[in-house]
Amino acid sequence: MDDDAKPSPTPRDNPGKGLFARDLIYAVGGGFALFAIAAFAFDAGWLRDRKAGEADGDQDVQAAMFQPPPDSAIPDGPEGDAIRRGQAIFMNTSANASDFVGNNLSCSNCHLDGGRRANSAPMWAAWTVYPKYRSKNKQINTMEDRVKGCFTYSMNAQHSPTGGPPPPGHDVYKDLQIYMHWLATGAPTGEDMEGAGYPELEMTSAGYDPARGAQVYAANCAACHGGDGQGQYDINGRPVFPALWGPRSYNWGAGMARVNTAAGFIKANMPLGQSNRLSDQQAWDVAAYINSHERPRDPRQTGTVQEAAQKNHGGEETYYGRTYQGRLIGVGTPEPTSRARP
Amino acid sequence: MIRRKRTQAAPPDGPEETFEPYEEFRRIPLPVYWIAIALAIWGAVTLWDNAQAVGVGRQERAEQIEETPAAALNSGAQIFEARCSTCHQPNAVGVRSAIPPLAGSRFVAADPAVVVQILLHGIDGPIDVGGRTFDAHMPSFASVLSDAELARVATHVRQTWGGDRQEITAAFVRVQRARFAGRGAWRGGEELARVVDPALGPQPSAGPAVISAFADPAVLRLVNQGRGEAWACSSCHGAAGQGGANIPRLAGLPEGYIVKQLQDYVTGRRRNESMQTVAGALTDAERRGLARYYSGLRAPSTAKPELGGDVSRGEQLALYGDWSRNLPACFSCHGPSGFGVAPGFPSLAAQHPAYTASQLAAWVGGGRNNSDVQLMNEVARNLSDADRRAVADYLATLPPVPAVTQERR
Ligand code: HEC
Ligand code: HEC
Ligand code: HEC
Ligand code: HEC
Ligand code: HEC
Repeated sequence: MDDDAKPSPTPRDNPGKGLFARDLIYAVGGGFALFAIAAFAFDAGWLRDRKAGEADGDQDVQAAMFQPPPDSAIPDGPEGDAIRRGQAIFMNTSANASDFVGNNLSCSNCHLDGGRRANSAPMWAAWTVYPKYRSKNKQINTMEDRVKGCFTYSMNAQHSPTGGPPPPGHDVYKDLQIYMHWLATGAPTGEDMEGAGYPELEMTSAGYDPARGAQVYAANCAACHGGDGQGQYDINGRPVFPALWGPRSYNWGAGMARVNTAAGFIKANMPLGQSNRLSDQQAWDVAAYINSHERPRDPRQTGTVQEAAQKNHGGEETYYGRTYQGRLIGVGTPEPTSRARP
Repeated sequence: MIRRKRTQAAPPDGPEETFEPYEEFRRIPLPVYWIAIALAIWGAVTLWDNAQAVGVGRQERAEQIEETPAAALNSGAQIFEARCSTCHQPNAVGVRSAIPPLAGSRFVAADPAVVVQILLHGIDGPIDVGGRTFDAHMPSFASVLSDAELARVATHVRQTWGGDRQEITAAFVRVQRARFAGRGAWRGGEELARVVDPALGPQPSAGPAVISAFADPAVLRLVNQGRGEAWACSSCHGAAGQGGANIPRLAGLPEGYIVKQLQDYVTGRRRNESMQTVAGALTDAERRGLARYYSGLRAPSTAKPELGGDVSRGEQLALYGDWSRNLPACFSCHGPSGFGVAPGFPSLAAQHPAYTASQLAAWVGGGRNNSDVQLMNEVARNLSDADRRAVADYLATLPPVPAVTQERR
């Protein structure tokens, strides 16, 4: 390492020539070293590439996980047709399962890339662990039960044309499950897979605070989800960016309404295309911010909000049933009269 | 530094006594050599890399040219998938309260002239499909699909969802094209029923015609004659704002987006000499007026794939992204069909590929640095050169946004 340690390449009887050779070696060696350092810095992403298309850290992590099959691998025939129907429900839920959807969301809004994306509760990972025990209803749950839950809460089925989730055994469940089964082609069963669910963030020492979250929101989220959290629509009135609170969002019973679950989702997936842009603290704060706003009521509520909070939300990181800024949270939003843009 | 250390710590038989006397011969310090050699290596590597990229590009272009005749022979189903499914959905069920279904629609089952007329001119006003009223904007495909392609997609739609086996021919489309040449979009179901096929039955009627005449003469003067350094916009961006090659199409871009770009040229967050000069010479009110003018302008597409990109790869990126590269679908931000989401997300449909590709490169190269939350910086960084050309070429095949005046939006 140190020059002294190296034997001198210079023959002592011909110092001039030796000097040149030595300089040459130093110069070439140094040149290579500089180039190597620069190349390394480049690779590590300290210097930005002008040509694009290089892997970054997150891509490597994603690439190491289970890879579900691409659309082009959907088989022909009746099975393929069922997979496509399931996929259509997953991507465009309010049109393909319109009777059971009471907001503007699609499954794929929370389970990204059509349920493929690791760390956004991908369907290939979910498929392999059901039926399983869930604390939410203290029962062994089948996949149909689980999907029913997402319709009831995430899709706010209480405000749908039928007023509830698809009845047991409905084709919607079958088609969705065939799609999930296909996504899990080649996945090991019964094993917890890497990339399953949403990541769990450790609570930070500063705790979470909606006021700090409001700033995070304005800087990182409002461009897409709107300053008022109501999402944005294109010229045809189609939702492009989903609502994060209010009557067209998930209801108080949804997993996403818990601060910890939302924080994990946001950290790994938001802003769209920029996984892990936010610090854990920012993710907690902004999750608290969006989940301290009013949204459709918890359909399980029969008595008061406080009672429902005790019965169904005990021990959860949620604003449901709490009083924030002098306002009881969880009372719900009125059923939207028109299902289109606000 | 190294040298000083050596003087202190060298063993008695170390090199320094033979070394030092020659010190004065050394005119150029060693670090300079290092840098020179590092640069030389870098240069060689870059040259080699470039040569490779050019080679690959040339090969891809050659392959593309061979493929073109085949691509033009896309089946009706493929055209539907690439041009219609983003709105009407792959299974033609539409989008609730926004886009009508084709499956079971009376328009699809009616006289063949109906679908063809809708494809040629688009629809703006209210229509009733399956007992529901829609009042949105169906784009015109007249400038982006040939008669033969229109015939194929219309046949596919009618055979699949209209229950009619009859084949629509290119000749039939040609006749239909001539029939109402020059007219704008159909003003809803009522007009289609009255003019094209009475069998469509009762349809909601459109309100009074939206007067699209844009009257502000001061803005029109800026557009057509310019003033001092605010050169006439039309001299570069074209008489109808359609642009060309490296000059962007402006027609139909969101108003807020245009205002922001003009400001960004002035502040230097976006760099371009001509536009910096032009934008700098405009007042705030003029920028807003021009933005309003262009955002409400409808113009046929003059864009065509021209970069030899792989259009089907481009379609894939636009509709689904490439999550293995952390790349969301372009349309998840730019709106389905690339029609934009006002005010922040520009329309990309019918934009000129050379311009689109140049912007994608500018985000990586630093010439453009004006995207909120660095959204486009991240996207552009994850696109390879071939992907940029692919997606730019695909976007050029889309119908232009059916721009609406601000009141209607
Ligand atoms: C508002 C966001 C949201 C929407 C919309 C949504 N989900 Fe979920 N989903 C969640 C959350 C949150 C979880 C719980 C994940 C966790 O706890 O890690 C979840 C979990 C699941 C699971 C179990 C995942 C696992 O790994 O155990 C399945 C299956 C599922 N959802 C299916 C669906 C389907 C099908 C739809 C559409 C009908 C849907 N979801 C819509 C938020 C959503
Ligand atoms: C570039 C635009 C963009 C930005 C910025 C963005 N989002 Fe999203 N967000 C989306 C899109 C698009 C979806 C739906 C994902 C899909 O369908 O692929 C989404 C989905 C969500 C969801 C789940 C769906 C729902 O409605 O509940 C939550 C929660 C969310 N975003 C929160 C955030 C938060 C918090 C931030 C800021 C840290 C943020 N987003 C920034 C575009 C964005
Ligand atoms: C940008 C979105 C968009 C695209 C792309 C699009 N359409 Fe439409 N289409 C619409 C909308 C919106 C309407 C309803 C217009 C209205 O409400 O006035 C419509 C109406 C129609 C109708 C009449 C109503 C019905 O449901 O039968 C037909 C037929 C139709 N489109 C066919 C097509 C075909 C074929 C293509 C592809 C070549 C296509 N559309 C591409 C948005 C789109
Ligand atoms: C000398 C030719 C020229 C003239 C005159 C000109 N432009 Fe441009 N304009 C360009 C070019 C070239 C670009 C693309 C610059 C770049 O790469 O950023 C551009 C870009 C723009 C953009 C950004 C578009 C986008 O899609 O982001 C807007 C907006 C614009 N011009 C408006 C105008 C207006 C308004 C006028 C008249 C007051 C005008 N231009 C006059 C050449 C011109
Ligand atoms: C995460 C959201 C997001 C995604 C995904 C996205 N864009 Fe963008 N894009 C933006 C925003 C925001 C702007 C406007 C930036 C500004 O304010 O100037 C933009 C602007 C552009 C422009 C400049 C348009 C013009 O007229 O100058 C091009 C070209 C573009 N995007 C292409 C793409 C392509 C191609 C893809 C897919 C590979 C894509 N974008 C995906 C957010 C996105």
